Amino acid sequence: MSTLVDSGPVEARRLSRFVVFALIVVVAVGALTARLFYLQVSNGGQYATLSTRNRTVLEPIPAPRGVIYDRNGRALVSNVATFAVKIRPADLPNQVRDEVVARLASMIKMDPSDINASIDANPGSAFDLVRIAQDVDESTARLISEAGDALPGVEVAVEARRQYAEGPLMSHILGYTGPVSAEQLPRLRDRGYQPDDLLGKAGVESTYEAELRGTYGQESVERDATGRRTQVLQTVQRADPGASLTLTIDTQAQKDAQKALRWAMDKIGLKRGVVIAMNPQTGEVLAMVSLPTYDNNLFARGISNADFASLLKDPDKPLLNHATQGNYPPGSTYKLVTGTGALADRKITDQTRLITKGYLTLGSTRFYEWNRRGWGPCDIYCGFGHSSDTFFFQLAGKLGIDRLGYWAKEYGFGSPTGIDLPGEVSGIVPTNAWKQEVLGAPVFGGETYQAGIGQGYDVVTPIQLINAYTALANGGTLYEPQIVREVIGPDGTVIRPFEPKVLQEMDVKPSVLKTMRNAARNTVLLRHTYNLVDLPIKVAGKSGTAEFGKRDKKGRLPYHSWFVGFVPKDPKNGSFDKPDSELVVLAFAFDSRTKGNVATEIVKYFLQLHYGIKKDYRNFDLVERGNLYQGN
Amino acid sequence: MGVIRSQPARMTDWAAASVGAAWRSFDLQLATYAALLLSVGLVMAYTNSVEAGSTPLEVGTTFSRGLMWAGIAIVAFVITNVFDYRWLKTLAWPIYGLQLGLLVLTLLIGSGVGGSARWIALGPLTFQFSELAKILMIIVLAQYLSSRVGELDRLRTILGACLLVGPPLVLVMLQPDLGTSLVFAAILAGMLFMSGASLKWLAALGAATAAMVPVAWTYILRDYQKERLTSYLNPTPDLQGAGYQLYQSQIAVGSGGWIGKGLTNGTQAQGDFLPVQSTDFVFSVLAEELGFIGAMVLFGLFIVLMWRILVAGWRSRDPFGTMFAAGIASMILFQLVVNVGMVIGIMPITGIPLPFVTHGGASLVSMAVGLGILQSINIRQTRAEW
Repeated sequence: MSTLVDSGPVEARRLSRFVVFALIVVVAVGALTARLFYLQVSNGGQYATLSTRNRTVLEPIPAPRGVIYDRNGRALVSNVATFAVKIRPADLPNQVRDEVVARLASMIKMDPSDINASIDANPGSAFDLVRIAQDVDESTARLISEAGDALPGVEVAVEARRQYAEGPLMSHILGYTGPVSAEQLPRLRDRGYQPDDLLGKAGVESTYEAELRGTYGQESVERDATGRRTQVLQTVQRADPGASLTLTIDTQAQKDAQKALRWAMDKIGLKRGVVIAMNPQTGEVLAMVSLPTYDNNLFARGISNADFASLLKDPDKPLLNHATQGNYPPGSTYKLVTGTGALADRKITDQTRLITKGYLTLGSTRFYEWNRRGWGPCDIYCGFGHSSDTFFFQLAGKLGIDRLGYWAKEYGFGSPTGIDLPGEVSGIVPTNAWKQEVLGAPVFGGETYQAGIGQGYDVVTPIQLINAYTALANGGTLYEPQIVREVIGPDGTVIRPFEPKVLQEMDVKPSVLKTMRNAARNTVLLRHTYNLVDLPIKVAGKSGTAEFGKRDKKGRLPYHSWFVGFVPKDPKNGSFDKPDSELVVLAFAFDSRTKGNVATEIVKYFLQLHYGIKKDYRNFDLVERGNLYQGN
Repeated sequence: MGVIRSQPARMTDWAAASVGAAWRSFDLQLATYAALLLSVGLVMAYTNSVEAGSTPLEVGTTFSRGLMWAGIAIVAFVITNVFDYRWLKTLAWPIYGLQLGLLVLTLLIGSGVGGSARWIALGPLTFQFSELAKILMIIVLAQYLSSRVGELDRLRTILGACLLVGPPLVLVMLQPDLGTSLVFAAILAGMLFMSGASLKWLAALGAATAAMVPVAWTYILRDYQKERLTSYLNPTPDLQGAGYQLYQSQIAVGSGGWIGKGLTNGTQAQGDFLPVQSTDFVFSVLAEELGFIGAMVLFGLFIVLMWRILVAGWRSRDPFGTMFAAGIASMILFQLVVNVGMVIGIMPITGIPLPFVTHGGASLVSMAVGLGILQSINIRQTRAEW
């Protein structure tokens, strides 16, 4: 080879070398050309696809969330556009994270630890956006978007947040929306939720999440290598707005209820209380107030960890809706169950008189009348009217624990009412089977006595209790309480009209309930509830004083106060013979320890406000701390 | 050392030669092809400016700086045309000294990415002296080899050439700039081959170099260099790391198809999927936007340019001219193959610019100086028979 190429005299230029060099040029450029042909022509289509996939992604188009109205069409929540600050952890290098978080924290006035907590709780992958702050004001949002390179991984997005018109007044009913949590995400992802999505977390925002959310659309978006969108190419699927809700709640009634409850709470420093008003003919909840409450706008704006922790730590549990999420002993209000059972099981008639006295003895134990005297021979009207404990001990004894339990369940106790609010608890109806299973022993006679007057193992939720009186007021139909009246489509048509939901028809003759309604009226007539009878409207009802907790030094137990009452269809002239009532009201005062039954005063005040009664019948002297058993 | 024999020359000789410059021997084709390649470079600078979101004519954009450097390059080309290249032969030693001096200066005060020292700031501009050093190296080697006509097949001539190239190569490698130091090696190999050096010895030298590779791999190359060198072998596994550039670059090239997406319409380029798109990866933008046909036009221009360079070398009566042409041609060929090969995934990733097209003043001006000297040789030394 070398002889071939190198023949001839040694000279500075050799044709052979020039020829070989030219060949090398041709071969080298030829190789590049071949590879280029392979990439661009043979596989051009495939790379074109990759290039398209590179820059276009399908992104969800959030659907406008449905809004919520009260029963009169008053808007309770609206969507407002806000700036949200989000971080894509993959774009935030670890070595500068502290610095970036600190800078961002000072810009949006957040605690850096809150930001770090959000990043660490990121439900998605490092490439998914994490919501850091919502409701950032526009000038701050602009500063952050312009900071760009100084805040790597930080993005500003415009999104809708919920604005709750009434705030704390409706928080337990409406609930709030919040970010998807890491535990929820895997389940929700299949249903089209994004890691930085919001969803209903409490109240009807949670129960009606599917209706309110709507259907997210999809658009194909061109983006650059850092993931920023450069332009929207096309809408693949339009977003369908969510449906709207009309509540059964009457905002004015809700305000009246809150006002009545707050009056009593402020006067004596009550820690917790509940007022509920329902229409017994349909099961609609007209008002539902649970105090203390919280401002759901705090959550909608993105609550800080400190605020959230203080709400969680509050011993009176403001985040709980005590109307549905708290179990409390019902006290004498429960005598409705015992009385109805005894009449229905023919243990007594409405003529039967039983002796009431200072106490009953069972074995070696004395069971005292609440006034330690009794009223002598008493029928059901007298016994219920005076709320005689010895009368109802005897009825409970005649029924036995299991029949008492049967009638409790007929009134809906012992299982959730099914109200369309999340987290409802079920209360306890003690029976032999229940006690055997839970405590491993049968029910003793004394426990049956206690159960007959709503003490001992009995616990109920306020919604269960008012629902039981609802069945009494309407003549024996147990409805499922409803808080959402109608679901309305985005175009304004009613998707789901209101329909009362019957849980069960009670296994009882109308005459029995008529007797019990008149017995309840007798409570008012006998002035057991003081001047409630003087109101210009007719009220029947039952008060309750339910002991709980530990005895004080003088051996006294603290107690809650209850009152449930109802008004005939014609409040002034109606009769309780007819099951035509359209309003039942319940008040519950936790740990009240007042001289009189404060719950009765709360209901009275509510009725004054609701019916526009000018004269004030409230007994201010009874609404004092006293720890005296004055009313039962 | 005495490896370079400076020719004793008198002022009168240069004057006579200058006067006798035959301007009809100016190679208009060579100038035209170079101008066309320069235009391609400006077009790519324009599209990159547009895609970076700037108004191309504003101060400081890739395009406006490209225009400025093009002007400087044309001036440099004209000056070196008029200049009698034989001065260079006389000044071979000082030129060698200048070359080493510039490279040492770069190491001392230069700046670059991640602690490297590659370019020197001149006011608002930066200049990479290693580009100019390549041309100076070609001058020095051409003088060395042409002064040894008749002993070119000897081993000592070859080793002498190696000794000359060694120091600048090492200085560039210290910057560290592996790519440019490989260009030095390519220039040496090309010029030795074209000088007619014994193939036996060249083969032995090649074998010795190959034997050095494992040593260099272990002791000289840095981790990121190794990663870049090997990532082309299998670009898919590490798309977040070293393989990312290559993968995105191949998508850009492949998606260009026959005729490309049109200037300034490259989605890969616009979306910043391509790293260093105005410099090392400029060819991928060209292939994406102008397609296979555009790339063929570019290759065609390079081929005819190298042809004119080789013709100039062949015609030169002065062996210096032949050697110089060989050096320029070797440099262009090597840079073309390695840069384009890198972009299309058949060569390892090294930071070697694509002559004329890659945005960078030093590369362009050095190329203009090289071609200007070649024209100077054309004008003064063309053989009668051609």
